[in-house]
Parts: sequence; C-alpha cells; structure tokens
Amino acid sequence: MRMPPFELHLPESLDSAMTIAGELKEEDCDFDWIAGGTDLLPNYKWHLNSKPHVISLAKVDELSTLEPTHIGAMVRLQELATSDSCHPLLRQTAGTIASVMIRRSATVGGNICLDTRCFWFNQGEEWRRSIDWCIKCDCGTGADCRVISHQNELCVATYQADLAASLLALDATIHLASPDGSRSLPLAEFFQEDGITRNVLGDGEMVTHLTLPDDAGDWQGDYQKLRLRESWDFPEAGIAAAWKIDGDGDLEGLRVASTALESIPRLHQELADEAREGWAGGESVNALSVAIQKSVKPVNNTWFPPSYRKKMVRVLTRRALASLKGIKSAN
Amino acid sequence: MSDDDEMVGYKQQPGKLPFARPGSGGSEKFSELRDESRIPVSQGGTLDQPQGPNRHDSLVTGAAIGRRTPMVDSRWKVMGQAKYGDDIRLPGELFGRILRSPHHYARIRSIDTSAAEALPGVVAVSTGSEAPACFGVLPVTKDEHAMAQEKVRHVGDLVACVAAEDELTALEALRLIEVDYEVLDAVHDMRDGLKDVEEPIHDRGKYHIGDSNVQKRVFQEFGDISGMRDSAAATHTSDWYFAGANHAFTEPHAVAAHWEPNGRLTLYTPQQVPHYVHRALADVLDIPMHQINVYRTAVGGGFGGKSDPFPHEMCAAILARKSGRPVRITFDRDEVFYVNRGRHPSRLGMAIHADSQGRLCGMETDALLDGGAFASFGHVTTYYNGVLHTAPYEIGGFHYTGTRVWTNKPASGAMRGHGAVNSRCAVEVGIDDVCEQLSVDPIDFRLANLLPPMSRTITGFRITSIGMRECLERVRQASDWDERFRKLPLGHGLGIGCGFFISGSALPIHWEPNKFPHATVHLKVDMDGGVTVHTGAAEIGQGSDTVVALAVAEVLGLPLDMIRIRSRESDTAPVDLGSYSSRVTFMNCNAAISAAMEIRQELLDATSMITGAPTERLVIGDRRIFSKDDPAVGVSYLEALQKAQEDRGALVSSGSYRTPPMGRTHKGAAAGLAPAYSFSAYVAEVKVDVETGQTSVLKVWAAHDCGKALNPLAVEGQMIGSIHMGMGQVLSEEMRYGRSGNLLNADLLDYKIPTVHEMPEVTPIIVESNDPEGPFGAKEAGEGPLLPILPAVCNAVYDAIGIRIHELPLAPALVHREIEKRCKELGIDDPLDLPSPILEHSPLHHVLRERADEHALRDLERKLDDEREQYHNGALFGLDATIPADEQDDSWTAVVLPDAQYLESPRLAGSAWLHVERRHQGGDA
Repeated sequence: MRMPPFELHLPESLDSAMTIAGELKEEDCDFDWIAGGTDLLPNYKWHLNSKPHVISLAKVDELSTLEPTHIGAMVRLQELATSDSCHPLLRQTAGTIASVMIRRSATVGGNICLDTRCFWFNQGEEWRRSIDWCIKCDCGTGADCRVISHQNELCVATYQADLAASLLALDATIHLASPDGSRSLPLAEFFQEDGITRNVLGDGEMVTHLTLPDDAGDWQGDYQKLRLRESWDFPEAGIAAAWKIDGDGDLEGLRVASTALESIPRLHQELADEAREGWAGGESVNALSVAIQKSVKPVNNTWFPPSYRKKMVRVLTRRALASLKGIKSAN
Repeated sequence: MSDDDEMVGYKQQPGKLPFARPGSGGSEKFSELRDESRIPVSQGGTLDQPQGPNRHDSLVTGAAIGRRTPMVDSRWKVMGQAKYGDDIRLPGELFGRILRSPHHYARIRSIDTSAAEALPGVVAVSTGSEAPACFGVLPVTKDEHAMAQEKVRHVGDLVACVAAEDELTALEALRLIEVDYEVLDAVHDMRDGLKDVEEPIHDRGKYHIGDSNVQKRVFQEFGDISGMRDSAAATHTSDWYFAGANHAFTEPHAVAAHWEPNGRLTLYTPQQVPHYVHRALADVLDIPMHQINVYRTAVGGGFGGKSDPFPHEMCAAILARKSGRPVRITFDRDEVFYVNRGRHPSRLGMAIHADSQGRLCGMETDALLDGGAFASFGHVTTYYNGVLHTAPYEIGGFHYTGTRVWTNKPASGAMRGHGAVNSRCAVEVGIDDVCEQLSVDPIDFRLANLLPPMSRTITGFRITSIGMRECLERVRQASDWDERFRKLPLGHGLGIGCGFFISGSALPIHWEPNKFPHATVHLKVDMDGGVTVHTGAAEIGQGSDTVVALAVAEVLGLPLDMIRIRSRESDTAPVDLGSYSSRVTFMNCNAAISAAMEIRQELLDATSMITGAPTERLVIGDRRIFSKDDPAVGVSYLEALQKAQEDRGALVSSGSYRTPPMGRTHKGAAAGLAPAYSFSAYVAEVKVDVETGQTSVLKVWAAHDCGKALNPLAVEGQMIGSIHMGMGQVLSEEMRYGRSGNLLNADLLDYKIPTVHEMPEVTPIIVESNDPEGPFGAKEAGEGPLLPILPAVCNAVYDAIGIRIHELPLAPALVHREIEKRCKELGIDDPLDLPSPILEHSPLHHVLRERADEHALRDLERKLDDEREQYHNGALFGLDATIPADEQDDSWTAVVLPDAQYLESPRLAGSAWLHVERRHQGGDA
C-alpha cells in the first residue's frame, strides 16, 4: 500500500511552522499538518483527501508542554496516560485510546482534530470506486452521502475521538495559531457538526494547546467507553462526566459530554444543569442518563448498530455518574 | 576401526598423518546415557503405557519425542531472518499489481490496455485472454482463471495485471486500463442462491443444477430415521446463522515469479500446498510440470487460506514470462479479503433428539453454505458440515442435507477446522439444550454416549484411538465443574463443548489412494553425520519441519541439530499433499519414520559387523549403538555410519505413507475418512455484562487428544492458538457485507481479531490415547482444538444468562437484543434481575452415570485387547455390534438421495434437491 507522494516540511519552531504555512497558503498549495501521523497516514495510504504538502510538527518542541492546566498539542497520548501532572480524568481517558504503541506516537492535538470516520469512507481507493465514491471524498464526482442518501449536503461521518468528551467535561479552552495570528475559544465552540469541516480551523490554522480552568483540580470525573475490544478499537460511544462536590458534600457543578455518537462531540450542559438543580442521587442519575440518551442521534456508519449505541448511552452515563448516586442534593 | 590400523588398498606415505574422521556428532560433545524413563515399558524402559504398547515402541531411542522443543526454524523468525513471500528480492524485478472488478457481477464487453501500456515504466500488461485455461484446488470443480475470461464474479475479482518498474507506476497503469462492463444482477443472500436465475454465476453445462446457483448438494440418511423422532424424549431445534470468517493471517499473500535463464520457471510463494500450485501453473501456462520449480517461502500463517492455487500466482508467472523479468506481487490487506477462502457464512438448521434412556437417537442437520464466487474446497466443505459430526457420539439416526451456493462474494474455502466448526457448534449447543430439557449434566450425558475405541461411526468412519472420555473427565476436574456448573451467579457461566476432527484426509484428491502415497520422505546421510531430510510437507508456522525432524532424530538417536530439513522446493522435495486437513504429523512423520528405519537398519548392520554383536540385540541411544546385553559393546553413531558408508558414500533412503483401505462405498463415503481422528473437550468460563451484552471469556480448560504429543510445546501452542482463533469467530470476527453488498471491513481494524486483552487464561491439557497407526501413536493437533471453543463459549453464555443465541459472532448488540427480548417476555425491567439457570438432576442422571461407568470399562478393554470384535454404531440401541446396523435392521437406512416424500417439504438447504440437473431434464436441455 503506497501513499501518494507529498513534500514534507519539518519546521523546528512554531514561528517557522507558521511561516511555511503562510507561504504555502500564498502559493495556494494545499497542505496538512501532521503530528503523530497515526490518523493521517492510514488515510493517506487509502488515498483519502491526501495533500501535496505536509508540515510536520515533530520538531516543534514548544508544543509539548504538559502541566496540570496546560496541555500542549504535541503531548503524546501515552505521556498523558501516565503523567502525574495531568488531570485524572484525562489520564484515564487517554489510557483507553487505541493501543500503547499507537499512543506513543499519537498526540493530544491529533486526537482532538481526528478525522471523522465512516464505513463508506475509511476504505481503499478501489473499494470507494466500486460504490461510486461518497460525499466526504468524492474525487470530483459530486457523490452523495452513502449513509443517508439523497441529502447531498451534510457528511454524517462520526467523530470518534475520546479526549474531546473529557476535555469538554473539564471545560477546556482550545488555543489556535495561524499565519494570521492566534486565538482561543471554549472547546465546545471549536467543533462543527459537519463530517467534512469538523471544526473551526481555518486555512493554515492549527491547535497549539489546551488549557483547563484553574479549579480543574477540584473536579472529579469518569469516562466510559463502548467498544468491542479492549485495545485498538475506536470508541463506539463515549461518555465523560465531571463534577465538583462542595465542602458540605453537595453537588456544586456537573458537566456531561458525549463523543463517538455523531459528527461532533457534545457537551450536554443544559441537561446537566437541569439535573443538578433538583439533584436526588440515583434517581437523578437515571433521569439524566435517559435524557442524554434521547439527545444523541448516531447513524449507521461504525461497527456497532446505531440503535445499540444509542441504548448504551444510558448505561454508560449511569456508570460514569455512579459515584454521584450517594450525593443527595446540590448546593 | 582405530586410527592407526593399516588401510586396505591404499598405502599411506611414511610420515604423513592418517586421514581424520569427518563429522562432529552434534553440538554436545558427549553422548548421554539412555534415559530409561523415556523408553516404553514394552521395550524394557520405565515409560508407563496405560493405553498399551505402540507399533513404533521399538524405534524409541529417547532422543527427541515427548520433549518440549522450540521450533527448529524459530530462530530465523525471531531474528528477522526468515524470508517470507515479500522478502524475496530478485535482480531486475518488476512490481506487479492487479486490476480488480468494481462490480459484484458483470460481463466484460471490452478491455483497453493501450494507455496503460504506453505509460513510461510499464513493462507488461496482461488480461484474461492470455490465460484461458481453468484451474481449481479440486479437480472436480476447476472454475477459476488467472484473470476474468468473460465475467467478473465479485468485487475484487481479477481483471488484468500490470508489471512496472515501480509500484506507483503500476498503480497508475491500473487507473489507465479501460474496462467496459455490462452489469448483471448479483446474488448476495445465500438463500437467493437456491433460486433459478437468468444468469447463474457459473455454468456447469449438463451438470448444472437447474438454473440455480447451487454448486454442490448432499443428501444423507443413515440409521433409524423414522424412529428417531418418535422415540425422542427431548428434542432441540434451532436455526443458526454463522457469519463468514477470514483466516486473517499476519502475512498477506505475496508471490515472485522468475523465468530462469535456462527457461524454467521458479515461483516463490508462501503456500500450504505447493504441489497443487505446481499442477495449476502447468495447466495455465501450458508448460510441462518439470519446467517449474515451486519454491515455498516462509509462510506467515496459512490456516487454510494459502492452500488453493491462486490466480495472482498465475498472474505473476504470466507477467514474468511476458516481460522477461522477475515479477513480484504483494497483496494489500483488502486483497487478502478479496481472495478470502475463509469460513463459509452458513445457515444451519439443527435438530438433536434424545430418548428416554438419554441416548442420542437422532441428529438432523440442514446446512446452507455461502460459497462466494468460486468452488474452492467447497465440494468437500458441503460434506464435512454433516459427516464430521457423526462422532464421537453413538447416534441412532443421522439426517443431513447440505448445499453450497455461489454468490457474488469473495470465495469461501477451507479454514482451520474445515467444514466442521459451525455444525459442531450447533451440535454441541443442541446437546446442551437436550440435557437441560432432560435435567441431566451435559458432561455425564456425553460420557454415556461415546463410541468406543476401534469402532465404526454411523456413516462408516473407522475410529481407532479415542481419548474423548479422558478429555471430558480431565476438564471436568480441572474446572471444578461439579461444584460450579449452573451454580454461578447471573452473568457468570461455565459451558462445555467437544470436538472431533480428521487427522489427515484419507483421500488424496489428485490420485487413487492405493496407487500413490500421500507422503514421501527422502533422507540423505553423508560423511559429516548430519541427516538431510527432503519432504514436501509445508512448514506454515505449525511446526511441520520440527515434527518431521523429531521423528527422524528419535529413530536415529540424534540431537535435533544434526537433522536439517529441506522442504522448500519442488525440485528437491518428493511430491506431497502439503499442509492441510491436519495431515502432516500423521502422514509425513510416518513416512519419515519408515525412511529413517532403513538408515537405522544399515547402522545396526554396520555396528554388528564392527562389534560382532547380533543386529537384533542392538539398541540405539544418544549417538551410540550398543548391545542390549552389554552396553559396553558398541560404537558411536559416527563409527557405525562410516562403516555403513564404506564403498558407497552417502546413505540415502526413501519412506512413504499411504492410508489403509477404509470406509464404505456410498456416494460421498470418502468425505471425512481419515486414518485417525482427534478428540477434544473444553470448558469455558465467561462473564456477560447483562446491561451491555458484552461477553468476555475468563478461563478455558482445554483437553485435546492428540494420540501422543511428539512435541508438547507445539501441541499446547496449537491449542492456545486455536482458542484465540475460535474465540474470534464466536465473539467478534465476521466478514460484514453492507447494504450495497460490499465487504465493509476488509482491514484489520474492523475485522475484529481478539487482542491479548480478550485472551482468557488457558489451561491446556494434553491427552494421549496412543493411536495404533500414528507415528509413535500421534494424531493431529492443528485444527481439532479449534472446534470446542465455540460451543463451550455459547453454552457458558447460556449458563450465565439463561438465553440460547443461535447466531455467531455473539456481538454485544446481538446479546443485548436477546437480553432485552427475554426481559420483556418475563416482565422484568432491569436485566440484573434475570434468573440464572439451575440444574436439579432427574432420575435419568443415575442411568447416565451407570452407563458411563460401564462404558469406561468397555473402552479400556477394547483398547488393550488385540482380539476385540467389531463395534458398529448402533450397538447402544440394542443391535449386534459386529454387523453394520443397516445390514441387520431394515428400519436403519443408508441412503444418499432424497425420496419424493422428503421433497414435499424439504428444509432450506434440502430444497436444492427440487432442482433437476440439466442432463436429467430431458428435451434439448
């Protein structure tokens, strides 16, 4: 299996990466960023939307900082999974991603920017030709979506990254850089419900790091993941919950986020707020689980059937919130 | 002869040193004393033989067999020095790539290769018109071509091939080949394969069955068919669906073809059966076989998936001939799935009847097999799905209808446990259910229904050794079965499953068994003392080189490092049927033993000449041959060898093996015949998450009767590997076809092989039943150990949640759906409140226990008594054991054609018999 040829750029600083990106943009050359490559290169091998230029961030050391509330985009997932200076929820979540070998290459930024996945898209070139391509990689044919046909507008490929849910539950802020400058925004606003664009990254823009609120250390959490095998498999559903208990043992804050169910990870803030207001332990856990289950709409493009994934959202949410069953009220 | 003796016929010049004796005698300098604990009691040693003596006892030297031996080729593999298919590099080689069909079923109107040929860097382009000869693994169903002739039959079918200077150019050239297709109506559902259609996928001419896509149909009725339903006290019926599975070996297919300067073709390929490729190449290339050398590279896993001759092997040879340069083709993983030959997707109807005495009074199986686009081994698979569950139990009736249909999918074929795995699962689950209905323990039930050693099955298979009883008893004890079965809490369960498999197919498919041996082994022993073994047994990672080396080493009393196996090239290896049907240990070791016996005799004769001790009083120990009566009288192996080589040089010998005559004479009687059979029993412990339906296997106690473990390490490896592979099929692996009929998961991320996390703790238990004809008593261990894990897990899942699921894999969504359904039936809201099944023994329990005890005695007596009488299936039902049942009782039948009454309401696969073969249609058909 051969990748289409591309020109590799290896900047050694963020500035020089930005310069290269700016130049390529000016010359109207398409390019991809590459971090660990564990997502991009398999897609390249399948000739999926490959670009003539690739800028590697492997040598940009300044993106590898890992502190309790600062996570560089180039931090390897295995480092996150084993680091003491990282929020336990992120550590737990990172430890479930792919396999150790993949985690040693894969990065936080790469995971956040993971390409969406679909049975009709993640296939070899000949295979896709045999179904006349699909909207996400139409090879100039204007092909339809193969999951839900006759809606030639929106790609419903599934976003299957784990970290997004936990970072959303921890109220992370994402920091971006581009040749035109940098910006920051709440992670929840970073994603877009479109299997092709996926997020707000503009041309030549990239993720530099994520930050957590200063009180992140006061929040506890849990991540529950649905998948067939204990290793390798992408999540078929993921629920992250984070909560803060005040000095009286009451529920002070609650956030629940889901991933791997749609083209976008979701922070279910309204549902969580509603549940927290009248918090009554186990009953509230059940009610919130049902509410979150109702709010997600998986489609048939991953390994498990969507009806099953949706049903499992309730079980996963209940399990993620299991430690709150004993909390009887909110403050 | 000592060094300073005067030599006859040659005068040494004064002052010169005498000639040194060549040979080192192996890496250990000193001969070890004979280890009496490795010598059987029948030969005066202390090795206990509870199953009696073996015909090879006198050849035991204590040198090799029975020791835990790492594979002789393992160092090459772990050091990265083994050369697999894609490691072959030839000077000036070209890259070959294959253009594949994007359509499920289409007629090719035209192919234009001109643009591809004009692309710089492209050296040769070839299409089907250049290779019109057909081939196929079975001579009766040759339906494949190097490339499509007129039609493509599945997505991925070969259309054209290109050889270019580099891979990217070859890929670009494929894009430039223009093919004009007329798309035809494809068949995706195997049930549609039973119907008449306008354009069947293949045309068999006058042998075509109606206008359907039925490739092979089998009807068999043995025993008391009408009585089995009438006398049933408990009946299990089920309709199973088994998804297709792929071997998913590590190494994708890779082949290199080179026309040597002398005009001969060398084909380098990781093949399980080089000889079939050899034949097919000669047909397709239209050259004599002697102009071809098939070179088997190291094989990175086969499991049946590398035992057909393949079209890409033909393509490489065609491109190499056309370009005049070596051509290499290496598959991407999706191409491996397109060539497939994996386990057939199947729909199985199963009925198991048990009577009031707890006897298996009947089995009825209806198997519809999805063969995909080509026949491959399917002819055999269609028989195996029935006949391979007529043992180890004594049964009152056996009704089987099996049909294999062509569909527009990649071809199914042989995969580890060929044809036996799915139906065995259905049988064993059926027995579990029958036991549940009768309120008896399923292990007791099995122990009370086993065929004895030296018996005949209902279809006439010859059972020699059978260690089934010991397998069951040992896993019962190891798993603490009696204390835990049906007593574990909800979500935890134990299950039992058994297996039965051929130890080498008795029928060589290309020649008559009594005209040519199944296996031939040549030995050459030269001055250095090392033994070169030439065999065509294909080392595919299963350890065939090792086991053949062990057999030779044992007979000659040599350390393994003095044995070197040459098994790669058809130029030097005697013709052999290769590595499938679990035949190598049984057949090639037997051949190797008889070759080694010749050398042994020459060594003994030489020793006798040197020492004066009579040959019959000599024994062989570690590199030393000496007198039984006085161990001080003897010579070293090298001395004896040198004496034997006097006047003639290297010793050479040839040994071969062929199966004894066996079996009955009805149509299809040969399918499933084997010189011996292996038996196994596993207990699996599972955990089912009742909220998610996710099943994990925690522990497996695995007992396998391999006759005699020539290499216990390898036997255990095969058992553990089989469990891993079988667990994939039972829990997660499936070839999933989407709405469009395309295979959705032709990659190893979505083809879900269990990882190390999913592997249970396995306790392998080796049972040695001492087969009378096996090499040193050995039988197979490569495929049989896979069978029991599927039903053991299914039955354990029942024990855990009280639900029978008749579909594999037991995907979480499926299990969850069944749990929901059951909760609804029982009016339960929370699945955690589901009842867990319990067992309260019925009075039948004692009947079974008594019978099992009686049979245990019967079996041991039969085993040890050389004067035993015949035992035919049917004796348990009151018939005379010495005569085949249907010859003494009219109600017992043996028929292989359906009658009008059956055809009034046939089962699913049986409905294939509603079609009439064209030659019998009359008129101008």
